[in-house]
Amino acid sequence: MITAAWICLLSPLAAALLITLGGTAWSRRATGYLATLSTAVSFGAAAVAFFALVGRDQEHRAELTTSWTWLAAGDFDVGLTLLVDPLSILMMLIVSGVGSLIVGYSIGYMDGEDEERRFFAYMAFFVFSMLLLVQGGNFLLLLVGWGLVGLSSYLLIGYHHERPSAVAAAKKAFIMNAFGDATMALAFFLLIQRTGSLEFAAGVEWAGGEDGSWAVNLVALGLLGGAVAKSAQLPLHTWLPDAMEGPTPVSALIHAATMVTAGVYLLVRFGPLFEHAPRVQDLAAGLGAITLLVAGLIALVQVDIKRVIAYSTMSQIGYMFLAAGIGAYANAMFHLMTHAFFKALLFLAAGIVIHALAGEQDMRKMGGLRGLLPRTWAAFLIGAAALSGIPPLSGFFSKDAILASGLAGGTYGQLLFVAGLVGAFLTGLYTFRMVFMVFGGEPSAYAQEHLHKPDRTEPWIWMALSVGALAVLAVIGGWIQIPGVWHPFADFLEPAVEPLFEPTGTQDAIASVLAVSVGILGIWLAWWLYSARKEPVPRARALQTLLERKFYFDETYEWVFYRPATWIARASRALIERPLIAGTLTGIAFSARRAGGEVAETQTGLVRTYAFVIATAVATLALVFVWVR
Amino acid sequence: MTGWLATLLIFLPVAGALVVWLVPMPRGAAGSFALLVALVEVGFWINALIRFDFERQGATPNFDQQHTWFSDLNVSYHVGFYAFSFWLAGLTVIVAAASIAYAFWAGRERPRAYFGLMLFLTGATVGVFASQDMLLFYAFFEAMLIPLYVLIGVWGGPGRMGATIKFVIYTMAGSLLMLAAVIAYGLSQDTFDLIDASQSSSGWIFLGFAVAFAVKAPIFPLHGWLPDAYRESPPEVAAMLSGVVSKAAVYGFFRICLAKFPEPFDDYRTLILTLASVGLVYGSVLAFRAQDLRGVIAYSSLAQMALITIGLFAENLAGLSGAVLQAVNHGLVSATLFLLAGAIERRAATGDLDRLGGLARGRPALATVLIATGVIALAVPGSSAFAGEFLILAGIFPWGWGWAVVGALAIVLAAMYMLRVISAVLHDRRATTADESVLDLRPAELAIVVPLLALLLALSAWPAAISDHMVENSGDIPALVELNE
Repeated sequence: MITAAWICLLSPLAAALLITLGGTAWSRRATGYLATLSTAVSFGAAAVAFFALVGRDQEHRAELTTSWTWLAAGDFDVGLTLLVDPLSILMMLIVSGVGSLIVGYSIGYMDGEDEERRFFAYMAFFVFSMLLLVQGGNFLLLLVGWGLVGLSSYLLIGYHHERPSAVAAAKKAFIMNAFGDATMALAFFLLIQRTGSLEFAAGVEWAGGEDGSWAVNLVALGLLGGAVAKSAQLPLHTWLPDAMEGPTPVSALIHAATMVTAGVYLLVRFGPLFEHAPRVQDLAAGLGAITLLVAGLIALVQVDIKRVIAYSTMSQIGYMFLAAGIGAYANAMFHLMTHAFFKALLFLAAGIVIHALAGEQDMRKMGGLRGLLPRTWAAFLIGAAALSGIPPLSGFFSKDAILASGLAGGTYGQLLFVAGLVGAFLTGLYTFRMVFMVFGGEPSAYAQEHLHKPDRTEPWIWMALSVGALAVLAVIGGWIQIPGVWHPFADFLEPAVEPLFEPTGTQDAIASVLAVSVGILGIWLAWWLYSARKEPVPRARALQTLLERKFYFDETYEWVFYRPATWIARASRALIERPLIAGTLTGIAFSARRAGGEVAETQTGLVRTYAFVIATAVATLALVFVWVR
Repeated sequence: MTGWLATLLIFLPVAGALVVWLVPMPRGAAGSFALLVALVEVGFWINALIRFDFERQGATPNFDQQHTWFSDLNVSYHVGFYAFSFWLAGLTVIVAAASIAYAFWAGRERPRAYFGLMLFLTGATVGVFASQDMLLFYAFFEAMLIPLYVLIGVWGGPGRMGATIKFVIYTMAGSLLMLAAVIAYGLSQDTFDLIDASQSSSGWIFLGFAVAFAVKAPIFPLHGWLPDAYRESPPEVAAMLSGVVSKAAVYGFFRICLAKFPEPFDDYRTLILTLASVGLVYGSVLAFRAQDLRGVIAYSSLAQMALITIGLFAENLAGLSGAVLQAVNHGLVSATLFLLAGAIERRAATGDLDRLGGLARGRPALATVLIATGVIALAVPGSSAFAGEFLILAGIFPWGWGWAVVGALAIVLAAMYMLRVISAVLHDRRATTADESVLDLRPAELAIVVPLLALLLALSAWPAAISDHMVENSGDIPALVELNE
C-alpha cells in the first residue's frame, strides 16, 4: 500500500521533470499523452492503495511512513512522511481521477497552442503538489504541498504570459495565498513551541489537553487563515474570479475540482483539533455561509461564463466550509467529491463552448447554442442540474446532506440552514440564468457568425471522452450515499473523521423537500426572467452596481493594503534611503572623482582615500593601544 | 594530509593568483587557468567534506592546524573548520568557481590582473572562515576587502568611482572598529587564539565587533554602500560580494559575538533584533519598488541578511541552524540571480525593469532558470530557502511573537518583489529590448548557473543536510536551548 502511495505521488512529478528536461525532444502532442498517462498511473496506484485499505479492519486503516528526515535542528525534526488513511485515499482518488480526465481533455483543448509542453509540465507538477498536500503526514509537509499547489496555480493562471491581465491575476493569487501560508506558518511556530513537534497526532493530542485555551484557538485560527485563502472564502476570495484568466482546463482542475477544496480537506483533517476551538470552528461555518450567499449574489450579474462558474465554486465551497464547521465532516467530503465531478463537467463543457465561439467568454454574445451544440448542451445541462441539487443527480444527495446536518446542529446550525436554503435558491437562479443565456433562445448573431463546429479529429475525441465520463459521474456520483438509508461513504471515512452528530430521518426529509423546492423555484425564476419573458430583466441600479463591483472588496484592498505599501516604499526611498543612507558620502565620492578625473583612470581617488583611511587607522590604533594598556 | 586541508583550501587559490600575476601567459590562458584552479579548489572542498567529522565533540575544529607566529602576544597561525564555517567555505568555493567561469565566458579587460584578484579574493574569504586566531582573522578580513576595492573600482560600471569610495569608507570604518576590538580583546585575554580566549562581558568590545559585522552584512542602517556597490560591480563580483563576502558577517556574529560575548549578546539582543526587523521590512519594501534588476536583488539581500541575523540572535538550535542554512541558500540564490542579471543585461543592454519584458517567449531555458531561482528566492514552501526561514522564525518565536509576525510579513513581501521582477523581465508585453535577436541562455551560461540551481534543488530535497550537520561540531557556543518549553 505504501509503495502504491509513493508511485501515486511521484509519477506526475516524473512526468513534469521529463517534459522540462526533454524540451523540444518531445513532440507537443506527446507531452500531453505523457502527462495524462502519469496521472492515470497515479489514479491506478491510488485505486490499488484504496483496495488494500478496504481489505484491512477498521483500526488499521491509517499508515504513516517516513522516508527521510527532511528538516532537523537538534531534537526538532520533521520527516518526509506520507500518511495513507481513508481521508487521504479519498482525496488521492479524486485528485488523480478527475485530474487524469481533465489533463486528457487538455490534449484536445490545448492542441495548437505553441507552448503546450510548458502547459503539460505545469499540469503534471500541479497534480504532484496536490497529491503531496493530501498525503503529507505532518504539518510541515502539508504546508509544503500547500505552497507548491499555490506555485503551480500561479504558473498556470499566468500561462498566457503575454497578457498583462493574466500575469496580474497570477500574482494576485500567489500573494493572497502567501498570506494564508504565513498564518499557517505562525500557527505551526506556536505548535512547535508548545509541543516541540509537527506531527499531526501530537498537535491533536495537545489541543485535547488544553481544550478551549487561547493557544489552541490561535493555532486553529492560523489554520483557518490558510484554509480561507486557499479555498477563496471571504475575506480572502478576490483572487479566484481573476484566476479565470488561466486556460479552461486549469480552471476546471485547480480552481474548481481540487486545489480550492484543499481548505475543506484541512478543516476535515484537523476536525479533532478544531473541536477544541469551538469558536473558530463556528467562525469557519459562518464564513462559509456568508461566502455562499455573497458569491451566489455576485454570480447573478456576471456576464463572463467562466466567472459565473467561478463564483458558483466559491459558493459551493461555502457549503463545504459550513458542513466542516458544524462537524458534519463526511458530508463536507461528500459534497467535495460530487462538486469535483459536476463542476469539472461544467467547466469542460464551457470550454467546448468557448472553443466553438473562437475564444469568446461573454454570455451576452452567446445564445441559442442548444441547437448548434446539442451534445455540449446535454452535458452542460447535467452539470447545471446537479449543481442546482435536482434529484437524482449527484449534487442533490450531497447538498441535502449538508443542509440536514445544519438543521440538526442547534440554533446556530439552523441559522446556517436558512442561509443554505437561500443559497440553494440563488444557485438555481444563477445557474439557469447562465444556461438560458448561453443555450436558450435563437442563435445570436455573434454565434452564427463565429461558430465553428469541432472537427472530429483525434484531439477532439479526448475532449469528448472526458466530458462524457464526467457527465456519467455527475449523474451517478451521489448514489453511493443516500441520507438516512445507505452510507458506505461516511462509514469509510469514519476511522479518519467522526461526525459530531447525525441528523434524524425527519430532518433529512425536511431538508430535502425544502432544498429541492427552492432550487426549482430558482430555476423557474431564471426561466421566467431569461427565457419566457421577452422583455429586459428588471433591475435596481444601486444593487446592480454593488454586485457588479463585487461588494467593493477589490477596491478596499487596493486602498487598505496595496496603496499604503506603495506609499511606504516611496516614502522610505525619498525620505530615508536617498537623503540619509545612500546619500551619505556621495559628496565625498564626487569630490574624489573630480580630483581623480584629471589623472588617468580610477587609481588616484582610490589610493588617496585609501592612504587617508590607513593614516586614520594607524592613529586610532595608537589611541586604542594607549587606552587598553 | 587531513591536517593540511584547511591550509590547502586557503592557499591554493592564493598561489593560483600569484601564478596568474607573476608568470607571463597569453591573455586567454589566465581565465582558463583561474577556472581550473577554482574547480580544483571545489574538488578539494568535496574531498574535505568526505573527511569531515560532523559528530566531533568539544572545542577542536576539524583540520585543526596551529603554528606560533608572535609568541610573546600569543598570536599564531591557527586554522580549522567547524561544521558551520565549513558550509560557508563550501559556499565560497562553489560561488567563486561559478563567478570565475562567468567572467571567463563574458571576457574581462586585463584578464591577468582580474583573474588573479578573483582567486585571491576566494582564498582570503576561505581564510576568514577558517581562522581560529583573531589577528589572522583580521588579516584575512582585510585581504578579502582589498581585491574587492580594485575589482569594483577598475572593472565596475559607469558609477564605479563613487561606489568604490563609499564601499571603502564604510568597510574601512568597520574594519578599524574591529581591529580596535581585536586588539582590546586579545590583550585583555593575553591571547589572540579564538579557542583559548575565554568569554568576556565587555559591551564595548562586543560593539566593536558587532558594528564591523553589521557593516559587512549589512544591517540597516549601515547599508549605505550596498546599492551602489551591487549595481556598479561586474555581475560576478556582485555575486561574490552579496553571496559570499557578506557571509563573513554571519561567521563573525556566530564565532565571535555569540561564542565569546554571551552577556553583551543578550544585552543587545533587542536592539539588534529591532534593527534587523526594520531592515527586513525596509529592504523588502525597497526591493518592491526598485527600478532595476540589480536594485531588487541588492535590497532583497539586505532583507535576507537581516533575516539571517534574526536567526543568529535567536540563539537556539533552530535559529542557528536556520541561519546557517539560510546563509548558504542566500549565497547560492543571490549569486545565481546576479549572474542571470548579468546575462540579461548583456542581452538587453539595460537592467531597467521598465525597459525589459516579454523575454520568456521563445527563450525557455532563461525563463525556466529565472523562475526556478526566483521562486526559491521567495521561499516557496518546499524550497531550501523556505526550510531556512521556517527554522529561523520558529527559533525567534519564543523570544516574542512580534518578531515572527514581522518575519512572516516579510515573506509575503518577498513574494511581491520576486514575482514583480519575474514578470517584469519575462512576462507582459514584449519590450523593444526583447526582439528576435536576443538569444536564449547559451550552453556555457547554462553550464554555469544550472549547477548552482541544482544545488539549491538538492538542498530543497534535503535541507537537513546542513541544518542537522552543524550543531555537534560548532565550537564553544553557549549551551543552546531546545525549542519547546
